[in-house]
Amino acid sequence: MTDVTPTISIDARGISCPGPLTNLIKAYRKAKNGDVIEVLATDPGFKSDVKAWVERTGNELISLTEEGGVIRALIKVTAR
Amino acid sequence: MKGFGIVLYTGRADSLILAGVLAQTAAGYDIPVRIFVTSFATPYFMKDKPELRAPKEFEDLAQRMMAGMASMGVDSWYEMLKTAKELGDVKIFLCSMTMEALGYSKEQVDPIVDDVVGAATFLAEVSESQVVFV
Repeated sequence: MTDVTPTISIDARGISCPGPLTNLIKAYRKAKNGDVIEVLATDPGFKSDVKAWVERTGNELISLTEEGGVIRALIKVTAR
Repeated sequence: MKGFGIVLYTGRADSLILAGVLAQTAAGYDIPVRIFVTSFATPYFMKDKPELRAPKEFEDLAQRMMAGMASMGVDSWYEMLKTAKELGDVKIFLCSMTMEALGYSKEQVDPIVDDVVGAATFLAEVSESQVVFV
């Protein structure tokens, strides 16, 4: 799998719901189409929340992985 | 969803927290949020707030949850509402009737409140919204 290099990185590890999503939204509002946002989170709800958010906002989820309790989401901004 | 309405009436800790979480999340989705604060939630929207409380039968769970939230560093319900207002179109309305009935004046109202109104204003604001009661 080719890894995309993020243009924006958010470290939301240790922050619980709804914090990680709020941090993502704040970054998203400053982003432009073509940006790739990386979010690291440890809140177990983040996995389904980020999927729901991407679906609702019409952006693109490049990958969603979990390693050692850390969830990593890569989102391509396409709906700005 | 065109809009999201929250009737916050119990004043219980769990209700205040839930209102904060839902408002912050909806605002992030660009969904307009209108909160109607009434009954026993009213004192928590004054500058001078009573202590958070939970129903007696859930005292053990409330203690556990509050301690857990503190150690996780979760924002308070008030912080969540403030974040919600920063994020999007969120308005907090305070019920004029319960404010007066509880002996409060407009000067005591917390600045997080947008306006002191009657139920008609709130209902007009949420006429096309989904409304929940907490």
